[in-house]
Amino acid sequence: MEETEQVENELCQTGIEELDVMLGGGVPTGSTVLVVGSSGSGKTTLCMQYLINGARRGERGVFFTITEPLFKLTKNMESFDFYDKKLIESGMVNLIDLRIISERLGLDTEKYTVEDASALLDILRDIADELNVKRLIIDSITALCYRLQTPEMIRDFIFKLGSSLAAMKCTTFLTSEVPPRKFQYSQYGIEEFISDGIFFHGDIERKGDLIRTFQIVKMRGAAHSRTKAAMSISTTNGVEFTQLLKSRE
Amino acid sequence: MANVLIDGLKERISNAIKVNQSIGIILPGSNYPELIQAIFERIRNAPDEAWIYVTVTKPSNIFINQFEFLKETNNLRFIDCISRAAGITNAGPNCILMESPTMLEKLGLEIMNVFKEVNESTEKYLVIDSLTNLIVYNDPEIVTEFFYHITNRTRVKNIRTISLAIEDEGIDKYLNRLIYLNDKILKVRDSFI
Repeated sequence: MEETEQVENELCQTGIEELDVMLGGGVPTGSTVLVVGSSGSGKTTLCMQYLINGARRGERGVFFTITEPLFKLTKNMESFDFYDKKLIESGMVNLIDLRIISERLGLDTEKYTVEDASALLDILRDIADELNVKRLIIDSITALCYRLQTPEMIRDFIFKLGSSLAAMKCTTFLTSEVPPRKFQYSQYGIEEFISDGIFFHGDIERKGDLIRTFQIVKMRGAAHSRTKAAMSISTTNGVEFTQLLKSRE
Repeated sequence: MANVLIDGLKERISNAIKVNQSIGIILPGSNYPELIQAIFERIRNAPDEAWIYVTVTKPSNIFINQFEFLKETNNLRFIDCISRAAGITNAGPNCILMESPTMLEKLGLEIMNVFKEVNESTEKYLVIDSLTNLIVYNDPEIVTEFFYHITNRTRVKNIRTISLAIEDEGIDKYLNRLIYLNDKILKVRDSFI
């Protein structure tokens, strides 16, 4: 009981200063967070920065990509100063192409049966356990849900994945792709209910220019900010947040 | 005559910024060349200080070409809000190019990030050239909000600010409200010397 309470009180710091402030210190350890946004909104960059910052603190992480091949992912990330190849080579950050795993497991690449989903869940849990990871990313859960054929399968998959990883004290970020300028958190309307937290990447138009925005919609167990922040992505600092100017928004 | 004006301005700015956290300078457009020369010479003469010059008025390379000594001035970083709009995509080593003068949050981040790299004990100064032109590209309310934020953040970090307002036929009501947020106002007149 004492141990459970202690786990609940532990916070996983993202290492992104302003984000940790907005979260009231960090993400409660073992949580599953849905990182929502349209294409190009900075979901993958935020997740990678979270993973790299964790590795620098000695927390091993794994990044499962489904939407883009590994060579493309690494090529994009190499332009950021925070990206440290040595952390990949040392195994502190592990990059895995989930499509290759699916192929090796002999799973149908388009649609998963209940058995396929179960086999995939097992392999994800095994990898997380074997590598003893404390931070895990699936980019994107939308692409994975597309292969799960029913809402029940999606619910079951995310719930079981989240529960197993929480037991390992692993804090998970799942990216969710949504159309631009639509106030929705997922494609299937299920993912957000099973997740402990929702980070929403959006944008506002100002004089024809798009200003990136970011909001913590929910984060169970954290006294988090609900204010909409401005977000910036630069090669030197990665993802950064600052107060959004709200006049005439 | 021009040298007398520039020397007079330099002295006035130096004295005002010594005792005030933020100063606003209201000047007619005709005195703009002398004023910026006075500011740049003041920067050159204080190599131990760290300066950021936010330009919304002219591309930074125009200043650098006009004042050759800026090429060897190491205590100044430009944050250039308008070069990109003018089709200039290459910045010098001491210049950060902003995508657009409407990206005020990003401008605030860049200012604070540059000062973060500076030693705590170094005196830090920020020039905003100019509030008048920020209002040209943005709604006045949002510039007001930005200016409140930036003056509060710079005060907390002990960064001194100089903001310019160029007046032609009387000063805009928004600009008037903004400039008076400063601790001290300097009004430059043709007949000032």
